[in-house]
Amino acid sequence: MELVTAVAVGFLFAIGVFQMLRRNVIRSVIGLMILANAVNLFLLSTGAYDGLAAAYTTATDMRSDALPQALILTAVVISLGGTAFVLAMLYIISSRYQTADMDEVNGLKN
Amino acid sequence: MAHLVLLPILIPLVGAMIGLLVRERRPLQTAWTLGTMLTSLASSLWLLWAVWQTGQPVVFHSGGWLAPFGIVLVGDLLSALFVVMTQLVMATGIIYALGSQDKVVTYPTFFPLFLTLATGLTGAMLTGDLFNLYVFAELLVISGTVLTAVSDDKYGTEAAYKYFYISLLASFFMLLSIGSLYISYGTLNMADLAVRVAADGSRPLLLPGIAFLMAAFMVKSAVFPFHFWQPDFHTAAPTAVSAMLSSVVVKLGVYGFLRMTTLLFVEQSPQIRAVLLALGVIGVVFGGLSALGTHNVKRMLAYSTLAQVGFILVGIGWGTPLSLAAAIVFAFNHSLIKAAMLMLAGYIASRASVKSAAFAVVTGVGRPLPAAGVLFFLGSLALAGIPPTNGFVSKALLFTSGIDAQGMWPLFLIGLASIFTLMYTIRAFQRIWWQAPAEGISTKSTGDQLIAPVILLALILALGVWAEPLVAVAQAAGTALGDPAIYIHAVLGG
Repeated sequence: MELVTAVAVGFLFAIGVFQMLRRNVIRSVIGLMILANAVNLFLLSTGAYDGLAAAYTTATDMRSDALPQALILTAVVISLGGTAFVLAMLYIISSRYQTADMDEVNGLKN
Repeated sequence: MAHLVLLPILIPLVGAMIGLLVRERRPLQTAWTLGTMLTSLASSLWLLWAVWQTGQPVVFHSGGWLAPFGIVLVGDLLSALFVVMTQLVMATGIIYALGSQDKVVTYPTFFPLFLTLATGLTGAMLTGDLFNLYVFAELLVISGTVLTAVSDDKYGTEAAYKYFYISLLASFFMLLSIGSLYISYGTLNMADLAVRVAADGSRPLLLPGIAFLMAAFMVKSAVFPFHFWQPDFHTAAPTAVSAMLSSVVVKLGVYGFLRMTTLLFVEQSPQIRAVLLALGVIGVVFGGLSALGTHNVKRMLAYSTLAQVGFILVGIGWGTPLSLAAAIVFAFNHSLIKAAMLMLAGYIASRASVKSAAFAVVTGVGRPLPAAGVLFFLGSLALAGIPPTNGFVSKALLFTSGIDAQGMWPLFLIGLASIFTLMYTIRAFQRIWWQAPAEGISTKSTGDQLIAPVILLALILALGVWAEPLVAVAQAAGTALGDPAIYIHAVLGG
């Protein structure tokens, strides 16, 4: 299970970084979202293998750590708000410049 | 008494909510916002006074959960001083916004967002928990981005997009660091983490954790290789907002570095300091040269922030109690100076025929405005570190501490590079106030009001002539930072 998680996190990071480096602004935002999920999965894995049972059960096994899940909950909400805001700004930018090419969104350069 | 540390966070937060409720009634909302900010400033001064009197950090355990388990808010001398600095400059920012002609200040959410910006910054400086720091930093980033995105400048959205994108990446770095440190040490409480890192520095994920945290703070402070978003962002923001962003908001990273090298990672701090010293010197030289080559007053001041943050990092990089005190004084004084200068640049831009701070537009605009010229000249002296301003005090302290710390090469380089400061500020002064305006360029009869920069420059002169209280507090803070046991003992007890 550790191996699957590790490969999944690494794979998501790879896709996210690759998409972020594309010239298309929409692709780069999608890359950002994938990266957010990769980070959250990484946070989850920091607490997942401490115990065997779920956090809030009556089971008497060693329980897994609930704190990373609480952290992810907060991080997910924040990245949701952030993503929504990024998309809103993207909408304004793409309608103003009539393009999705990052190199042509260069009003500040001059 | 412990609740005192809550006030500077809660007052602006509650004030922002109530400010949203009364958004339909603008006079009420503006008066309410200013009142809230001044009350909050008073409470943070009270906090600083309490910490100074008792000599002990004020610690609040939220929800009654004791330290390593619950979230703690810690006001020690360093964070109390930084909070006073933040709220002082924020209050003048609101005063500037009240007298501003920008359309953006009439938006119903402008003032509430200003207050949440203050909440985020204050909270990030007062919290004793790494994850809580991340949450407050996000609040700060989102408020700052929204305030820039609605700017009158038509490139505001583009600049805000750039900044937000980079900031989200910085947040991911911070989360990665939080995950790495949590899996290694099982705690996120800063004091507890410091104890555990000191006890066992051999965990494999410790170094990645430190590196990610440094990257996050470097983006927040616009340190040299991570600075590329900063000039755009600070140029396109509304004046009242850019004066905050370029002065107090960049100090969050400085605060983070101070905490990292003196509390969290004391064992590893020589390496961190070496990096900060190198990047600080590069930042001073690069920022000075870039500021010389710009064609816009606001952009020039944004590059100047890069250089001035470099000075502070050099102070942290030397790492002696004296140089830490110098870095703290420098940070405090730079906030006042940079806010005043950006407000004056915005004032000039508001009087120009086209609302812009580009030299092509503002050349000669200052000729009918001698009062602003005197203020700008005094601000230039302060930025370059010439008496009788507080800039002289901070530079003198920094250079003295550098001789003390035997850091001759960085000292030589930053001494040489501080000449750039004088060159670019005086060049801007000459172009705006001395040169004759070009054909068809005239000065508008109305514009923003000068009250806020006058208050700031009065403080700059006052702190230049009577610097002892600030220096005494900063030296006590620097000495306290030299012994992390004080902070740890106050939080964990025992």
